[in-house]
Amino acid sequence: MVSVVTAPPAVQPGRDAKRRKASGDRAGPLLHALLVVVLAASVFPLYFSFVVASKDNSVLGEAVPPLTPGGNLIENITRVFDTVDFSLAMMNSLIVASTVAISNVLLGALAGFAFARLRFRGRNSLFLLVVGTSMVPAQLGVIPLYMLMSDLDWYGTLQAVIVPALIGAFSVFWMRQACEESVPYELIEAARVDGCSVLRTFWHVALPAVRPQAAVMGMFTFMTAWNDFFWPLIVLDPNDSPTVQVALSALASGYYTDYSLMLAGASLAVLPVVAIFILLSRQIVGGIMRGALKG
Amino acid sequence: MSKSLAGRAATAVVAVLAVSSAAACGGGASGADSGKVKLSIGVFSDFGYDTLVKEYQAAHPTIEIEQRKVKMEQHHTQLATQLAGGRGAADIVAIEEGNVAQFRQSKDKFVNLADYGAKDLAGQWTPWKWNQGTADDGNFVLGLGTDMGSLALCYRRDLFEAAGLPVDREEVGKLWPTWQDYVATAQTFTDKTPNVKFVDTALNVYKAILDQAEEGYFAKADDSYIADKNTKVSDGFKLAAVLGEKKQTGAVAPFSQEWNVALKQASFATTTCPAWALALIKAGAGDEAAGKWDVAAAPGAGGNWGGSFLAVPKQGAHPKEAYELAKWLTAPEQQKRIFKETGNLPSEPVAYKDPEVTATVNDFFNKAPVGQIFAASAESLQPTYRGTKDSKVTPVFSNALARVEQGKQSTSDAFAQALKEAQDVAK
Amino acid sequence: MTTGHHQRSGASAPLRSTSGRENRSWALTRFDNRYTPYLVIAPFFVVFGIFGLYPLLYTAWVSLHDWQLIDGDQGFTGLDNYAKLLGDANFWNALGNTLSLFVLSTVPQLLAALGLAAVLDRGLRGRLFWRAGVLLPNVISVAAVALVFAQLYGRDFGVVNHLLGLVGIDPVDWHAETWASHLAISSMVMWRWTGYNALIYLAAMQSVPKDMHEAAVLDGASRWRSFWSITVPSIRPTILFTVITSTIGGMQLFVEPQLFDPGGTATGTGGSDRQFQTLVMYLYEKGFRLFDAGYSATIAWVLFLVVLVVAGVNFTVARRIASQG
Repeated sequence: MVSVVTAPPAVQPGRDAKRRKASGDRAGPLLHALLVVVLAASVFPLYFSFVVASKDNSVLGEAVPPLTPGGNLIENITRVFDTVDFSLAMMNSLIVASTVAISNVLLGALAGFAFARLRFRGRNSLFLLVVGTSMVPAQLGVIPLYMLMSDLDWYGTLQAVIVPALIGAFSVFWMRQACEESVPYELIEAARVDGCSVLRTFWHVALPAVRPQAAVMGMFTFMTAWNDFFWPLIVLDPNDSPTVQVALSALASGYYTDYSLMLAGASLAVLPVVAIFILLSRQIVGGIMRGALKG
Repeated sequence: MSKSLAGRAATAVVAVLAVSSAAACGGGASGADSGKVKLSIGVFSDFGYDTLVKEYQAAHPTIEIEQRKVKMEQHHTQLATQLAGGRGAADIVAIEEGNVAQFRQSKDKFVNLADYGAKDLAGQWTPWKWNQGTADDGNFVLGLGTDMGSLALCYRRDLFEAAGLPVDREEVGKLWPTWQDYVATAQTFTDKTPNVKFVDTALNVYKAILDQAEEGYFAKADDSYIADKNTKVSDGFKLAAVLGEKKQTGAVAPFSQEWNVALKQASFATTTCPAWALALIKAGAGDEAAGKWDVAAAPGAGGNWGGSFLAVPKQGAHPKEAYELAKWLTAPEQQKRIFKETGNLPSEPVAYKDPEVTATVNDFFNKAPVGQIFAASAESLQPTYRGTKDSKVTPVFSNALARVEQGKQSTSDAFAQALKEAQDVAK
Repeated sequence: MTTGHHQRSGASAPLRSTSGRENRSWALTRFDNRYTPYLVIAPFFVVFGIFGLYPLLYTAWVSLHDWQLIDGDQGFTGLDNYAKLLGDANFWNALGNTLSLFVLSTVPQLLAALGLAAVLDRGLRGRLFWRAGVLLPNVISVAAVALVFAQLYGRDFGVVNHLLGLVGIDPVDWHAETWASHLAISSMVMWRWTGYNALIYLAAMQSVPKDMHEAAVLDGASRWRSFWSITVPSIRPTILFTVITSTIGGMQLFVEPQLFDPGGTATGTGGSDRQFQTLVMYLYEKGFRLFDAGYSATIAWVLFLVVLVVAGVNFTVARRIASQG
């Protein structure tokens, strides 16, 4: 008979959960077909950008949109690098996005751990405050923020883009969730009893336990920071130290947009994000596999 | 295992912070070459400065120039933010004529170029262009004029031929001495070829009519709101709306992607075109349309759409050097060269009357003598007065006309609504 | 990740003797217990305090004045801006549009994300590939997105109208009609964010023990039933989380409708009749185009309050739904 492990839904033992059996849970061909359709819809605009980037601007006026790649890709990419300092922009975006991602993961995990597993006065109201802060629309404080940046003399520097984003409510939210799911009280008690301070407990117990969620969040944060456009456009100098999105807007300058040029840049801009995704995805999948082996 | 992830993460953070601070220090340091004056020019679209800037740098070894190009809408929004924040504006900024009135209100944030002797340059430009760039009765020089729009009417020869209309540009010009004639021609065209639209959008027609009037929404004398009383506004609106109601327009937003597609597919036959629009039409229509488009005189007289000024924000570190550069870039000789390269029409008589300019023909537009056509239009130019709140009122009427084009409202309803909204905004 | 097995069980440790040195270390532990939590959550509040709260309060201050963007403070006006806002037809229009777009884009999107996550949770070949794939819409630069959807929803030459024509339906003016524009924009939002939310759900699902699910299936429950009765309630916190974040994002919708607007940020008002202008678009128009910073700040604050209310409502509703079945 099958023995049913009756874990109540509210407590998830996390990584040692039994995973799918070898058979019986494979997705059928119908579902695979559905996934293919979804994937095609997701990928199409990227493919389309690539096609336009490999031709020239005039193809966009055709009645039937272009669907096959042309031969201008190298030329357009070269033009991208000639028009703006694209490699600098990529480097800057990389610095910004990585710093923001790592910082959010660490600080978010710290705060999330505190809200989830530590007991202190005002914990609930403080957390509610965190939730409240996330409802503030981003565009709200642009002018005062800009003036603050000029007072600090940070206009045109990467700090202006990095520092306000070092930790966000989303991260605290998410990591608190993760700690609730994956960090059991017993573990913490044990560590405390062993003499670990709060911080050491966090470092050695909580953080490893939430690695997959941290990886997911790190990746999302990286992506959001990479794609951020509105604020960097205001506070960064397109000719000095732009991020990729700002540089792309410089490519699109003018009354009319040279789409093939800009989309060549846009196609390039996607690559690092995909790379990071692949890099981090192992963490997510790897965590599952380890649990499965235990089963 | 846990240590390795955390350890690696920590190392990464430190490394990244180190690099970023290095980048910030290195990237932001414009003083890398000490002693060199670094000037930045904020422009949109193609001002034709690329070669000129290189030349100026060669002639002035202590000066380094960089251009910042952004999309026009972002440019002006950014400028407003930079002026508000007191930092970040380029040393020289371009301001389009439609936005000059509004930035004139913040002239205290700009250098009065008269302090550097700009008033002596007044004679270089046509009086109306010069005046557009000044305030306080000419005592405050806000910006030096770059190009001007002038106005003509571009049309497709093959579509006109199919509709039995004349094709030669002189003849075509004779078809429409007034805008009423233009609307009548639209009817003739549509009767013969009902599947093709006559004009890209009624908005351009309306804009051209207003641009030719001395006053539009605001009075020249005291900047008071007169849109509800000015017959030019109501007549112009209603005339353009006729085209919209009869579905003789393509109802596409000018210079948008849809407009490009419509150009390529040859779905409309005419459009109002200032000098700088020729390049855009060519880009949109593609090479296969070479020789099919042509340029004729516009209905009515004169009219100016576009053109910009170079201004110097006060927050810059080198106002004098900036002024000198702006002065040079807007000098007649340079304006001539810019025209040859980009087709931007010079705003100085010495330049646009120059035989080199008037002899220029545009191959794409069936070898039209664009230098002549636009210069002639410039001479008879009576620029319309743009009130300080013009940029707030214009979208109201544009939207109203668009609603008529889209069949959402009748002309009278749309106009009434526009008047009401404009009243609110102009307060 | 392993849990508990090679750590001590929860039995309490033997009492320590209270020598002087250990008194100190015990005091340190007490200190650590009491104050470190605050230390640890401090970075968030510091960053937010400087870069979130200060601008927020400053904006509130601005909303009480007649404040022009470039020219600055023109005088204290108290709650005049707010009164004007309540009587502003464009504001109510924007609010209505925002709510409509929010419902149209968020509800189907989260449901689709849930479904997609369920499918992705199954045994699939090339897991990495599928996951990277569904996340791509979020990674592509906005300019490319604008272009593709302009091609899709063009009135005369758009792909969608072309397809509709094949089945005999007249071309739809996607930008001009209110309902059409809302549908089109919702499709843009769905396209961009479904994969993102699906991956969030997937991450949550993968920490759920499969045993109950499998047991239920073996006991004869359909996949569908067991999904709704077991899987969904077990990822309830995550669902609630996405409901809140989607609400916040949905109410603050700006990028997608702005891209859909041919006038862009320069002249766009969300269509000739403001048929798809959202609150943030209106905020942007008033603040950065018409330079009325005071009024813009007012809109921002009212938006903030609206978001609070709607998020609260959604949270309550979703909590009830996610624990049923």
